[in-house]
Amino acid sequence: MNPVQQFRSTEKKARFRSPSFFLRIILLAFFIFTPLLFRSFEVLDVVLKIIIFSALVASYDVILGYTGIVSLGHVLYFGIGSYFVGIFMGKLGWISYSHLALSFLIAIVISGILSVLIGLFSLRIRAIFFAMVTLAFMEFAFILSSQLRSITGGDDGISFKLPGILAVDYNLGRFLGIEFTGRMVSYYLILIVSVILFLLMLRFVHSPVGRVLQSIRDNEPRSIALGYRTYLFQVIASSFASCIAAVTGGCYAIWVCYVSPDSSLNVSIMVDVLLMVIVGGMGTLYGSIYGAAFLMITRAFLPKLQVLIASILPGVPMATRLSERWLFYFGLLFIIIVYFFPKGIVGTVQEFFSRKKNN
Amino acid sequence: MDDQFKKWAPKFIVVGIFLSPLLLISPKTYITLTISGLAMGMLLFLVASGFSLIFGFLSVLNLAHGALFTWGAYIGFSAFTLMNKWTGWGGSDSIFSNIAIFLLALIVAGLLVAILGIITERLVIRPVYGSHLFQIFITVGAMTVMEELIRIVWGPNDEVMPVPLSFMGSWDLFDVVVSKYPLIAIIIGFILYLAIFTILKKTKLGTIVRAGVENPEMVQVMGHNIYRYFTGVFAVGSALAAIGGGMWATFVKSIHPAMGGEVIIFALIVAIIGGLGSMTGSVVGALLVGLSYNYVAYLVPKAALGITMLLLVIILSIRPTGLFPEGT
Repeated sequence: MNPVQQFRSTEKKARFRSPSFFLRIILLAFFIFTPLLFRSFEVLDVVLKIIIFSALVASYDVILGYTGIVSLGHVLYFGIGSYFVGIFMGKLGWISYSHLALSFLIAIVISGILSVLIGLFSLRIRAIFFAMVTLAFMEFAFILSSQLRSITGGDDGISFKLPGILAVDYNLGRFLGIEFTGRMVSYYLILIVSVILFLLMLRFVHSPVGRVLQSIRDNEPRSIALGYRTYLFQVIASSFASCIAAVTGGCYAIWVCYVSPDSSLNVSIMVDVLLMVIVGGMGTLYGSIYGAAFLMITRAFLPKLQVLIASILPGVPMATRLSERWLFYFGLLFIIIVYFFPKGIVGTVQEFFSRKKNN
Repeated sequence: MDDQFKKWAPKFIVVGIFLSPLLLISPKTYITLTISGLAMGMLLFLVASGFSLIFGFLSVLNLAHGALFTWGAYIGFSAFTLMNKWTGWGGSDSIFSNIAIFLLALIVAGLLVAILGIITERLVIRPVYGSHLFQIFITVGAMTVMEELIRIVWGPNDEVMPVPLSFMGSWDLFDVVVSKYPLIAIIIGFILYLAIFTILKKTKLGTIVRAGVENPEMVQVMGHNIYRYFTGVFAVGSALAAIGGGMWATFVKSIHPAMGGEVIIFALIVAIIGGLGSMTGSVVGALLVGLSYNYVAYLVPKAALGITMLLLVIILSIRPTGLFPEGT
């Protein structure tokens, strides 16, 4: 038995007994029972956005944390996913399950092709070009989506209805005293899709390809010397993550029943995703859940905080102005976390425990 | 004969491409479009050159550059309004006092944003030299903070940028309409290009900075504090962004807090096309983007942005390091 196999077998044995495994089970149970426990739509909305953004951030982490290349246009694929659902359901009015599936399929294929093309011509020279070119393409898509009024509905976006049991006003009837609505059906659908995506990504980063990617991240010249064509592996990782992002974008569109350039293609979403990755920790797929949870929960509570500040300090315009600009504090937080916790929440906690174990 | 042809062929092709719109546009409109294209190119050059300078010399991908640009526009706006209140030069008929107040506002914007740039470099960017990943994170954070600071100080709404009286309108030269401000922008941009180029190429300061890129340890051994020069380059880059911001705001006659994000994409494309760290590359790239954008915007308005992206894709596939890769 070689050292790698030995390591794997010990890891496999400990898999179902580690505390983090129980934490994951508890988290999953929480997500499953949320619609049954909380009656208010606001809570459900926040929890679902945490789920969707966890998957999106995890897919970004596959590029950033596991492959070590920086993309600044990852939200482009998220936008493609939501726009295809929006155009099929809203603009073309093809409201049926098969067309919903078709829109997802087309979005995945287009995202894959686009990311391969972008990767092929910008990853060739320097990885830093990739960051700039992807940013340029995302901005291009953003302007395109607000200009092509006949297809995308311009700045107003498209709002649409969903087919059958996914529709907002659909009612399945009462069961055990709980009303099952279309909202709940789409909640569970999105939860299942996100869990599948998450498992896919876990499988991907622990596969032989994923190991090669991590070796590229840690020491690119050495992986080249070992005979890997690193550039092709980077393209593979980026297109895989893009396809996942397209699916999460479609899920997001299903949940909010609306797409617009600001809600699904904006640079500010990219900044959010970056912040979530930083908070959660790079190179830890599970960290994305905590990152997304942190940001979404803060977002949900900020308006209440704002009202509180306005009531404490009435008539001070600077105070209200300062409290309105919560993005300002996120920016500060961003810088502080990069300085003091460069490994994020999960990374720092993991380091803490491993140090404890060694002592 | 054959060698001569090979030497001149690329130049003929470039000239041919830029004369080809003449087939579709009447000559008078063509000249008007060319002038506004050159002006747009020169304004883009100011933004892109700062970005490119910082990347080329410090190897820092400064995503906060757009925010510095916006700061420049807002400080220029405030300085212009204040000085106009004191002196009334902006509204007078004399072209000299108009130009004086305009240049003063630009200088104030440049100086203040240079100070802001120094603070940013010292506090935020210095600890992450050498790591592109953390630079990107930190500068995104800095961008957010600076943009939000603008919203806190000046408020989140659009403002109308005041324009000196004699900059408005146009001249009529042989039936060709030539707007005044674009010409001024072209002249200022060209002067700044010459100034930076001369400083980098002909002075001792420029030699030290260029040597610092090649071999920082050696320059330090020679007794120069390399980090001080880096701070200086960052300050110059920020000042260029600010001057670009002020001039751009006068060009489009309005300012809003998110304007930096829109222009920085163009600057990014220009910097990549020209070759990162190259001044001449920035000028050529900016003029290419400005001219092609204006021609296409006249012919097919919706495809104007597409042509810029197409340019980027074509040039990156032919010359992956940009047009002038050696940092000239």
